[in-house]
Amino acid sequence: MRIQFRCNGADVQVEVEPDTRVIDLLREHLGLTGTKEGCGRGECGACTILLDGVPVNACLLLAGKIADREIVTIEGVAGADGSLHPIQEAFLDVGAVQCGFCTPGMILSAKALLDENRTPGVEEVEEALSGNLCRCTGYGKIVDGVLEASRRLTEEPDRGGE
Amino acid sequence: MKYLKPRSIGEAVDLLASSQGMVLAGGTDACVYMAEGICSPEALIDISDLDALKGIETVVVEAGEETVRIGACTTLAEIAASELLPNCLRQGAHAVGSPQIRNLGTIGGNVCNASPCGDTLAPLLTLDARLVLRSTDGTRIVASSDFFTGPKQTVMESHEILEAIEFPAAFRGKASAFRMIGNRKGQAISQVNAAVCVTVDSGTIADVRVAVGSVAPIPLRLAKLEEFLPGRAIADVDPNEIREPVIEGIRPIDDVRSTATYRQEVTVSLVFDALRACAVQVAGEGAGP
Repeated sequence: MRIQFRCNGADVQVEVEPDTRVIDLLREHLGLTGTKEGCGRGECGACTILLDGVPVNACLLLAGKIADREIVTIEGVAGADGSLHPIQEAFLDVGAVQCGFCTPGMILSAKALLDENRTPGVEEVEEALSGNLCRCTGYGKIVDGVLEASRRLTEEPDRGGE
Repeated sequence: MKYLKPRSIGEAVDLLASSQGMVLAGGTDACVYMAEGICSPEALIDISDLDALKGIETVVVEAGEETVRIGACTTLAEIAASELLPNCLRQGAHAVGSPQIRNLGTIGGNVCNASPCGDTLAPLLTLDARLVLRSTDGTRIVASSDFFTGPKQTVMESHEILEAIEFPAAFRGKASAFRMIGNRKGQAISQVNAAVCVTVDSGTIADVRVAVGSVAPIPLRLAKLEEFLPGRAIADVDPNEIREPVIEGIRPIDDVRSTATYRQEVTVSLVFDALRACAVQVAGEGAGP
């Protein structure tokens, strides 16, 4: 079947099988391999993308469900000129990345939070990241990264889009 | 396989009756079942975009009774955030999965999946919820207490679609709470869960509903405890005195997530904790705005 949707600001039309998952659509059809598949059953959050602005698991999403809707993947987070998003900068600066496999999902969950609430507390950050597992167990630095991104976005409100 | 998106609930029940299709709501359970080969339907009938199946509203049904109606495809995130709903149901919806799963998963899906550990089931039992089932034959309404028949088993027939969940609006005025315990705080499946909904008159329990999940093949109301508690001061309920009436009602087993003994003791603690949360709500109301 043929579906169309917006992906990272661009219109996309693609032919998919009815049981194609969005994680496979992104990685195999569109070559957007920044979205990672960890568990494939909605437990780890590595495949987190934004669907109409809210975080969802791309491994639990059939392609038919994004028809005529808008998604953002990790490839759509940086600026068009390649400049990093403040969340990406903050993750690098505080050392929130170890092996990096959970990072795209963490950044998209963080982006969904900060787009809604520029100044979350620690508990709100932990809640927003509760569906993203890090097996390097670097949660402390990841939470620090989101809080640092919050500070930068507050100081420079014209950065980070939305 | 076909992917079908009906434009109305009428079209959806027609498609279901004429195909070997599976109804798809949020898809968070269905995708796992399909990936594991547990099911391979000939068609998926995606009802999640039907506006008539979404949202929360107060309606007046027969005999003038005010009823809260929740569309079956209302997401768990929307349930958790809705100030129109009692605490126990909001907390139960919030306990399911992760933010990502709650943004996709629906209350109707949680009910129809009928896992004994589904976190919205015990709250719905305490609210005397009714399930509105639609088919090409028309509509029938089943009490939540009659709906579940076993793990992943319900009275629903293969040509029926859950359209809405309703409960008396009067339940919004009661104190209520949900408690669960899992391996970790977020993204955990309940080893035990419990919901309490209580009417308190001058500090005394007048009427109470208690339901628990993951301690029997289906979510259960605790009838013995519901008989035991009325007449007692809610602030003075003692965990030792509710132990017998709680344990008498449950049939926990050993499985991958927990043991029967652990579940039994934790059920008592969770019910007690939920009662205490209700006591705090009642005390807060008494203190005025």
